[in-house]
Amino acid sequence: MSFGDESGRGREVGWYTGVSMRETEELRLVGRAAVAPHLLGPAGGVRTGALLTMIDNVGGLNGGLAALPEGWVVSTNLAARVVELAHVGPLRIDSSVLRRGRNNVVTGVQIHDEGAHDALVASGVLTSAILVPENGPPQWSRPVELEPPAGVPTHLPSIPDWLGVRAAGDHAVEIDLADGLRNPWGILHGGVVATLVDLSAEHATNGAHTTDVVLHFLAPNRVGPVRAIARPLGERSDGTVLRVEVRDEGADRTTALAIVTAAPADQAI
Amino acid sequence: MSVVYPPDNHLLRDLRFSFEHDGEGRRSRAWMPVVAELCTDLGHARAGALATLVDVIGGGLAASAAAPGWIATADLTLHLVRAARPGSVVEARANVLRAGRTTVVIEVALVDEHEHDIGLATMSFAVLPRRDTNPDVSSIRQPSSTMARPESRLAGPLLDQLGVQVRDRARGEIDVPVIDWSLNSMGAMQGGVVATVAEVAAETALRAATNEPLVVNDLYVTYLGFGKVGPVRSIVDVLAAADGHGSARVELVDTGAENRQMTVVHAVATRGLA
Repeated sequence: MSFGDESGRGREVGWYTGVSMRETEELRLVGRAAVAPHLLGPAGGVRTGALLTMIDNVGGLNGGLAALPEGWVVSTNLAARVVELAHVGPLRIDSSVLRRGRNNVVTGVQIHDEGAHDALVASGVLTSAILVPENGPPQWSRPVELEPPAGVPTHLPSIPDWLGVRAAGDHAVEIDLADGLRNPWGILHGGVVATLVDLSAEHATNGAHTTDVVLHFLAPNRVGPVRAIARPLGERSDGTVLRVEVRDEGADRTTALAIVTAAPADQAI
Repeated sequence: MSVVYPPDNHLLRDLRFSFEHDGEGRRSRAWMPVVAELCTDLGHARAGALATLVDVIGGGLAASAAAPGWIATADLTLHLVRAARPGSVVEARANVLRAGRTTVVIEVALVDEHEHDIGLATMSFAVLPRRDTNPDVSSIRQPSSTMARPESRLAGPLLDQLGVQVRDRARGEIDVPVIDWSLNSMGAMQGGVVATVAEVAAETALRAATNEPLVVNDLYVTYLGFGKVGPVRSIVDVLAAADGHGSARVELVDTGAENRQMTVVHAVATRGLA
């Protein structure tokens, strides 16, 4: 996860998604985000990749706080089911720690649309590994309250434009690893990886909407370009199931594996 | 002290799995014959039965990859795209995606005899220090092996043998006892059985919510704690119910252990598969 650090690394993703976060009680964190025009996808609501980024941000910070004082966390698995594609906003992202083990933290995260009678938008789980950073875990004033920094431009580019996504054949998309997309550890932000998975599924299915993602982070993306390659596995009554492999082409290695379900654009989810 | 697992009369023997392992501890294959006792009323193998196959092959491979350490299963995911029908044999092909200091991740592809994709599964594991009571996997990583005894086979439908009791169909509330036949090597409900319980709970609630004979084809199982006492009870939250599919969040608790939370599962049910 990442919301930014003093170096500025990791801030861009936090700015872009515009999530504020507040620790409401021990092991519970609540985020809020506007349904901003730059986050919208072709289904009319916030793009699934952006919802996954919010889950990673809020669930990750909550997991990190649960890991203190011994360590901090990195995301290892992210899974979510999206049940509503059109959103009014603001969105509320509720995170609670389901388990704090010796070397990992599991957080449950649900997103509700406060402007649509608190309708459920997505339900997910984030698992994070506990590690001890070289300079020790970050220090926080508790309870934690984070607001997106002032001065963020109001007109931001759409997600594909912001990431600079390009097609790499019929079933793959790729991006360059720009500095602004790195987290405080200098690697590609997990939310960006999730968004790339979402975009690759959409590309491979000619515009179907991602409704379900299971994503395993296997290795850091440090070099780039980073490519997501989607392979359709089969069709079901809820859409197409795809296997998506993410590779750091500059480092010649697989960095993430996802299984995605994408629903046809004209189908209710 | 090493322990023999599974005992002679056990689910994992009655499912008649057979295995092949490479010498490097990076890949394994397993086979499961599909019998009517494992199938839904639509005639294809239950997601929970296939999850049990995945759990066994994935767990064995992860234990090899983590050696000399031991492992605890963190999560299991399964997505099915094609029906496995009685009389067929499902092959599970497992490979190690990551073997790190603290985590192991395994991918398991499920295919039929004609090389058609049946589904795709993943598992991740936390790496732990080995205890004396952990099984010695080197003894079961022979190039070719089976868990089945000559007399091993299911004596009846899987759900009957597990003792599934439906308490409230509309709410998907079911009870399942913790019995010797379906324990894992730690004396708790086996991971694939946990997935099966969640599958049945989700299927029951989603059929009630949609009025359609849906079957669960996706499971995302997050293991939080063991179910050692029982009965294990399901609490289902239907997330969405649309034409032809639905999704649910299932929580399993061990009612005999002060409702200790065992597992959180996200399940997706669809119409029958091709």
